Parts: sequence; C-alpha cells; structure tokens
Amino acid sequence: MSTQPVTTPVAAPPPPSEGRGVRAWSRFERLQGMLFVLPALVVLALFLIYPAYYTIRLAFYEGDFHFGFFHYLGLENFKQLLTNDPDFLDLSKFPPGGALVNNLRWVIFYISLSLIIGLGLAVLAVRVRYERVVKTAIFVPMAISATAVGIIWLFVYAPDPNIGVLNALLHGFDNGFHPIAWLGRPNLVNYALIFAYVWASVGFVMVVLSAAIKGIPAEIMEAARVDGAGEWNIFRRIMLPMLSLPISVVTIWLFINVIKVFDLIYVMTGGGPGTSSRVIAFTMYEETFHNGRPGYGAAVAAIMLVLIAPIMVLNVRRFRTEKVVA
Amino acid sequence: MATVDSAVPITAQTRSERLVRMLSRTPLHIALVGIALVWLVPTVGLAITSFRQRPDVASSGWWTALTHWDWTLHNYDDVINATGMGHAWVNSVIITVPATILPLTLGALAAYGFAWVPFPFRDTLFLIIVALMIVPIQTSLVPLLKLFASWGHLNNHYYGIWLAHTAFGLPLAVFLLRNFFITLPKDLIEAARIDGASNLAIFRRIVVPLSVPALASFAIFQFLWVWNDLLMALIFVSDPSKQPMTVRIPYLLSTYGQEYSLLAAAAFLLMILPLIVFFSLQRYFVQGLLAGSVKT
Amino acid sequence: MRRKSLIASALAIAILAAGLTATAISAKPTKKHAGSIEVLSLWGGSEKDAFLKVTAAFTKKTGIKVEYTSARDFIPEVRTRLAAGNPPDIGILPRPGYIGTLAKQGALKTLSSLGLSNSAMAANYSAGWLKLGSSGGKLYGVPAKANSKSVIWYKPNSFKKYKFKIPKTWNQLLAITKKYKAKGLVPWSVGAGPSQSQWTLTDWFENIYARTAGPAKYQALFTGKLKFTDPSVANAARIMTQIINNKYVLNGVQGVLGQSFVGSITDVFGTSPKAQLFFEGGFVGGIALSKDVNPSLKPGVSINSFPWPTIKASLDHPVVGAADFAAAFKDNADVRAFLKYISTGAAGSIWVSTGAVTSPNKKVPAKSYPSILARGEAKQLATAKTFLFDGSDLLPGAFGDTWGFALQDVIQKPGNIKSILSTFQNKIQGQF
Repeated sequence: MSTQPVTTPVAAPPPPSEGRGVRAWSRFERLQGMLFVLPALVVLALFLIYPAYYTIRLAFYEGDFHFGFFHYLGLENFKQLLTNDPDFLDLSKFPPGGALVNNLRWVIFYISLSLIIGLGLAVLAVRVRYERVVKTAIFVPMAISATAVGIIWLFVYAPDPNIGVLNALLHGFDNGFHPIAWLGRPNLVNYALIFAYVWASVGFVMVVLSAAIKGIPAEIMEAARVDGAGEWNIFRRIMLPMLSLPISVVTIWLFINVIKVFDLIYVMTGGGPGTSSRVIAFTMYEETFHNGRPGYGAAVAAIMLVLIAPIMVLNVRRFRTEKVVA
Repeated sequence: MATVDSAVPITAQTRSERLVRMLSRTPLHIALVGIALVWLVPTVGLAITSFRQRPDVASSGWWTALTHWDWTLHNYDDVINATGMGHAWVNSVIITVPATILPLTLGALAAYGFAWVPFPFRDTLFLIIVALMIVPIQTSLVPLLKLFASWGHLNNHYYGIWLAHTAFGLPLAVFLLRNFFITLPKDLIEAARIDGASNLAIFRRIVVPLSVPALASFAIFQFLWVWNDLLMALIFVSDPSKQPMTVRIPYLLSTYGQEYSLLAAAAFLLMILPLIVFFSLQRYFVQGLLAGSVKT
Repeated sequence: MRRKSLIASALAIAILAAGLTATAISAKPTKKHAGSIEVLSLWGGSEKDAFLKVTAAFTKKTGIKVEYTSARDFIPEVRTRLAAGNPPDIGILPRPGYIGTLAKQGALKTLSSLGLSNSAMAANYSAGWLKLGSSGGKLYGVPAKANSKSVIWYKPNSFKKYKFKIPKTWNQLLAITKKYKAKGLVPWSVGAGPSQSQWTLTDWFENIYARTAGPAKYQALFTGKLKFTDPSVANAARIMTQIINNKYVLNGVQGVLGQSFVGSITDVFGTSPKAQLFFEGGFVGGIALSKDVNPSLKPGVSINSFPWPTIKASLDHPVVGAADFAAAFKDNADVRAFLKYISTGAAGSIWVSTGAVTSPNKKVPAKSYPSILARGEAKQLATAKTFLFDGSDLLPGAFGDTWGFALQDVIQKPGNIKSILSTFQNKIQGQF
C-alpha cells in the first residue's frame, strides 16, 4: 500500500480551518461524518439516556402496575429506604444490616481479597516459567457467566458432604462434624457469596497486574537486590508504588462490580436466608418486580446511580487528561 | 583456587547451586501450583458431577469418581431434551449473535466519526459516551420494558433484548474502537482523502481491515457479555420459549433442586461455548477486557 | 489485503445470515396458534408430572395442546409478562390473595365471561371454595386442586419399634420428640430455605395459631382485621420454636435455613434418612413416593400421616388447607375449553388418582383416590368441622413471601419476636 509523503500539494488549497491534514473538510463531508455517529447516538439516547431519566423521575412517585408516574411522593421513597426499611438499611443494631450494608461488606472484603490474592499471584507467578499456565487456570472463571459461577459454588457450599467439597473436607477432618450450611447462615452467607465472586474475579486482577509488573524495568529491581534489599522490601518500596495506577484501575473495576452484583445473589440465595444476603441491585429487582413497587425500586436504582456517579466523573476526568489531542 | 580468568558471573550456575536455588523456591512452586489447582477444583468438580449417574451423585463425593470410572452422558441427554436446555442453548445463540454484531457495526461507524471526522460538539459527545459506559442496567429495566411493550410487544420477540444489549454495548464499542482508530496512520487516511475517497470508502477499505484485532476484541468481549447475561434476559425476554440458558438454569434449580447431576450438566452446557471462545481466542478476549476495564 | 477483505465480507455475510435467521425465527408466531394454550404454575418434579397427566387427557379429548411453564418465583414472572403484554393463557396459582390483586388490576377474566356461569360452578364446588376464588363479588378462579396442611408424617414401623402412640395433643407430640432425641435420633427435619421454601414455616405457624387463637382470630389476622402485633401471634410463634430450634431439628436452625422443602422430605423419607418426623401438607405423600425421593416406601408401613394434634382442647381440630386456583389472563376458545375441563369431575378424578392432590370438586368420587395416604387426606378435608384456608396465601401481593421471611427471622432470634412482628405489621399496614 503506497503512502504519499505529506507534502504541500501542487495546487495549494485554502489553509484548513479545522480537521486533520491538508485537505479541508467540506461541509458535506462533515455532515456525512456525523451520519456515521448518528445511529449510535440515537440508540444511546433512546435506550440508555431516556430510560435513566425516566427511572430517576419514577423514583419520586409510587408507580403502578403499568409502571407509570402514578401518585407523586416527593422524596418519600428515599426517606423510607434510608430510614424506615430494615431490609435496606438497618442501623439499629450492631453490626448494622440491610442491603446497603451488605454492599459495604462487599466493598471491603471483595475488593481487598481480590486485590491481595490477585497481586500476590501476579508477583509470584512472574518468577516461574509456567506463569501462563497459572494465569490461565486462575483466569478461566472470568469467561463463564455469574449463573454458572453460582451453580458451581452452590455445589461447593452444599451441606451434604457428598456434594459439597467444603463440608466434605471438614467431615474428613472430624467425622462427627455437623455440616455447615454456608448459605443458610445469615452471619456466613454474605462472606460465602463474596468469596465465590472473588474466585471469579481474581483472574482479571492477576492479568492486569501481571502485565503491569512486567512493565517495571528489571534493572531497578536487580539494582535493589544487589544492594541487599530483601524481596519484601523490594515489593513494598519499589513495586507497589509503581503499580499504583494499575491497582487503582483494578480497584475501580472491582468497585463497579460490587455496585452491580445481582446474578450471583439471584441464583445462589435469592437474597436469603430471609433478606440477609440482599444487595442493592437485588433489592431493586425485588421491589419492582416481586413486590410491585416500581417507584420504590426506581429509588434504589437512583441510589445505585449516585454511588456510581463518582466513578463516571473519575473516568471522564482521567480520559480527558490522557486524551490524544486532535 | 581462583584464577584471573575464571571470573564467576553473578548468576553462578553450578549444578549444586542450581539445585539449591530450585529447592529454595519449592515453597513458591508449591504455593503457585497449589493455588492454581485449588482454583480449578470447583469447576472440575462440576464437570465430573455432570458425567456421573444420579444415584452415585447422592451417595458419594465426586472426587471418588476419579478412581471409579462409571461415566454416563445420560444427564446431558436429559438436560438437552427433557428439560429444554437444548432449546435454550439455541435461544442463547439467537440472542447473542445479533446483540454482538449490531453494537459492533454501529459502534465502529460511530468510532470512525469520532476519530476522524471533525464535527461540532464531537469531544463533548464523546465524553458523554465515556461516562455512559458504566451506567447500571437497573436504570433502564422499567422504562425499556414499557417502551418495548408499547412499540408492539417487542418483548415477545427478540428485538427488545437485541436493542437493549446494543444500547449497553455501544459506549464500550465506541470507546474502544475510537481509541484504536486514532492510532491508525494519519498519512494513509489523508492520502485516501486526497485521492477523493468518501468517508464510507475510507471506512470500508482502510479503517476496518486495519482494525481487525480491535474489532475482534470488542466482538468477543461483547459476545461473552451477552451470552452470560441474566438480568436483561430475565426482564426483556418474556416468552418462555425464547429464554436463553442463563434464565432457564435458575428455573431448573427451583424445580429440580435436588438433581445435582442434572444441574451440573446444564451449567456445563452453559459454560462450554464461553470456554471454547476463551481458550481459542484468549488474546483478543483479554485485550477486550483490559481495554474495557472501566466497564463491567 | 485479500485476507482482510475476506474477513470483511465474512462479517457482512454473518450479519446478513444472523439477520435472516433471526427474522425467520421470530416470524414464527408467538401467539399460540389455535389449538394450544400455555399454563403457568409453580409445580416441578412429581407434582408437575401429576398435572401433565391431566393435560394429556385434555389434549386427547379436545386436540388442544397444553404447554406447561413452571416458575417457582411466579410473581415477578407474571408481572413482567403482563407488562410486556404477553401473559400466559392460564395461571394456576396458590394464592387467592394474589389472584385478588391481579383481578383488581384488571389482568384476569371473570369466569362468567368465559362461559362458566355461577350456577354451573356452584354445582361442583361448595360456597366456601367459590368465595376464595372470587374478588369483588366476581368469580375469577376455578378451584383446581386442594391439599390439607394439617397432617404430620411419620414412620409407622418406627413408632411400632419404640412403642409410640399417635399423639393427639401438642404436649404428646413434644414428648415423642424428646423421646426420639433421647434415643440418639434426630426428631425433625424442616426445610425453609433455598428454592423459596420459607412457606413451610408459615404452615407451622398457621396450624399452631388456629389451634391456640381460634378460627375467628385466624380469619381476622390474615384478612387485615387483626394486627400481627396482637399477643396471640407472638404466642403462636413462640410455641413454634418449641420444636423448631437447635435441639430437635436436623442440623439446627441453620440447617432449616439451609435446606429446601423437597430436601427435607428426603431427609426423613429418603433412602438414607436422617430424621424421623416431618410436617407439611398432604402432598408430601405423593412427593415422597415419587422418584424425587423414595419410590420404595410402603404406605402404612414406612410412611403414614396423622392429623395435627390439638393444642387448646376447646379449639379441637381446625383443618388448615390450601388450594390452587386456575385463572385466565386471556379469552379464547381454547382457554374456555381448558377451564371448563378443569372444573369437571373427570379431570379431578384423573388428578387425584396420581396421589398428589385432593380435589375440592364435589363430583370426584372417593374411590378415585389411589392409596390410604390420599384417602386419609381427602377424608380429613371432607369431614373437617372447621376449614381454614392457608393464611399466608390469603395475604395480598407478595406478602405471603414476606411473612415467610419474618418467620425465618423468628426461628433465628426467638428473643426478638415482638420487634420482628411489629416490623412486619408496619410493612403490611394498609395493604389489604
């Protein structure tokens, strides 16, 4: 494919007012270019932006079975959610309960566990020749759906020692052991769910951080080793700071996962026992479609948006500073 | 006794030193291999269970099956025919393919516009799209349900869910592809423009062929995303005969909750295609994932 | 270059192919072509098989095909499908309360508009049943099947071995429980967890409440005229925890929350049993004998039932029962034919012959019942002096589920009964 050197063409055209290169964009071409963008914009406006507006507006109403704007309530839904719904937010006891608090548990444990295990694996695996095999093994769960993850871990957690690996192990250690209903105990169920999702997410963390680690110049680390620095210090003082950007990217990805997690809960526990493993995405579904309170569910969706909004701002800001200027 | 020219390099590799090095790294190997194996256990357990006979499953752990090879395809047969999972698998394909191609096409076209065509408000619009990438599905469920119903019961067909998935896949498509397109050689495109090529021609003949890796990355990412989706299918596919596997498997759970062998086979059927895609196109998938690391 | 244009054309062809396929497939009519209807209900496993026998007979008789869709969590399913304008033709639902909600929305067709006149229905069903299937004075639901929920299942051979007598009072039942425990056996298994099984707790509660507070208060409680914060409610909940606690139930309260309804039947009657006594409705017999659990059981020897014991002698034996009602979302010739068929004695006879259900239909003869288990249940329903409909199914909307969740809280924290009940009352206030 031949490329012409970009030189001033023989017939000098008027200097371009905008756009790239030497030939100015005619009005027609620009309009035609906008046509490229138009279908996507229309789709987005109709099916993403308009619905978001609709849902936010619905949050201020009670809604009826036609999901219409029925019975204006003002901020009542939000008030009810945050002060008078123990299934959503229960600050009256310690530790606090409710779906919102469960998401907080997820934020703390899911993110930290995924990061620690993923980072640890990335650091360790980089030193062996079979690194790719390990990475693949850890990464496989990323390809399968949360439904499948749910079924797989339902098996792992099954109270019957013939099915459930965990209980079988415990049974193996101590024959008279009562099988634990990992998903049946309100004080265990959330952590059981979290760990299942960690299992599915560590692969991503590991791959991202592994690539980042490879980007750290080897000389720096070799120099430190020669200077007598121990591995742990090298890790703490050299690797971690240099990995701070990828770690933050991964953390954001994990945080978004936490806000949106639904499928796993739906398949494994349905929010149970009772309501103890509910998360806000599940509450939105339950209130809208099960309990028939669309306005209330919309309020939950609005809260989800509020929680994700800082990330949206962050993404836009980050993109802007990295952006290749036209 | 050292001689002058027997300068030993820093990484001394005599046999015994190598052995010592390997041994001192044994804990490392054990840890890594151990963790990798542990990570595989849940999936392997499911796979094995799906091949076991029903009474075996209830009476002995799947790990015993490793030594007693009494395998059967009966569960798969049951699951595909008796419980309609085969039909659901086809539904999954029907839903996923257009829901991948549509955002890919619309996204590529739009990305070209954003990358190479100057038009008013271009940058602002693009920033909006960046922001839209992580909007949760929950904000659209109810309004889209109403919209599709009022537009002629689109929920009874696949149109509803195709449109919904297209909408949610577009921001990432546009973002990913636009970022790739702007790395294409400017000279190439300029030359074509000078030659009088139209936008469409440039798009078709230059941009697309050069962007196959990026297109593939998005396509694979979107394919898996749609195949694995549960919530949208739950809400937007109201006709039970059109529901994909992700939706039918929880039903299976509630009606056949005790039939572990059946459930395992169903789950494995669900996983097979993504696993094949993953293993054969791993590179593209990972790339797509990394680039889309701002979307979930 | 060639390779890339090949890829591009392959892409184009793929798009075209996908588009054509999709159009072709979705061009298949989704509206059921004449001669087929869709029925939605919750049953799976053996209960579903029993129903399919009835539909097979219907198809044989009329040539109309029946597609059965099962959805244990039927409320969101119905709701989304109604919103999408694509409800099932017929729903056979266990909750008169929910049917009332649907009727008020205008989602259901009245039976009289479908050709089933009030007088025709009255010929086959007693007034009590018809009232349950009505809303606002109009009849919407055909009582399709009924079950008693006031039976306790036990192993006659085990009772014989330990010389236990059939308990007639709650205290006697407790005594047998303790005796089993003393012999190192786990007395009960209860499944109130996965697969939406929390309804089993509501049945425990209802039987106890009927026997301690009486039929009048029972009716008032579940129709919104009595508050859940009434002391009689807490009292009944506390009595429930006399058996459902860590001592007498398989794997304790956590085991209850981790076990499903069918799983708990298997715990007692399966091939490797882990407990001795079981409570749930008459349908348990059919499930226990099916391939889902243990077809080698011998009715009368290894499995039988006795009526729920009395608690307050003066309140005797109210029978708590449940029924499923067939209601129509659409009106067409096939739907009418099906509803008419379901309301006949013939359909009822086929259904009860499976041993899975009893029929509220007056026209079903006693000899249609296949086993002593089923006959016992039918007799109990027929001779009940006081019949009370399953309370949680009378609650409006989805509160039947919410009440189950509340009871799950109760068995975990019996000390908090009062606050759990007042939280529930707050939720249901004004919803009737």
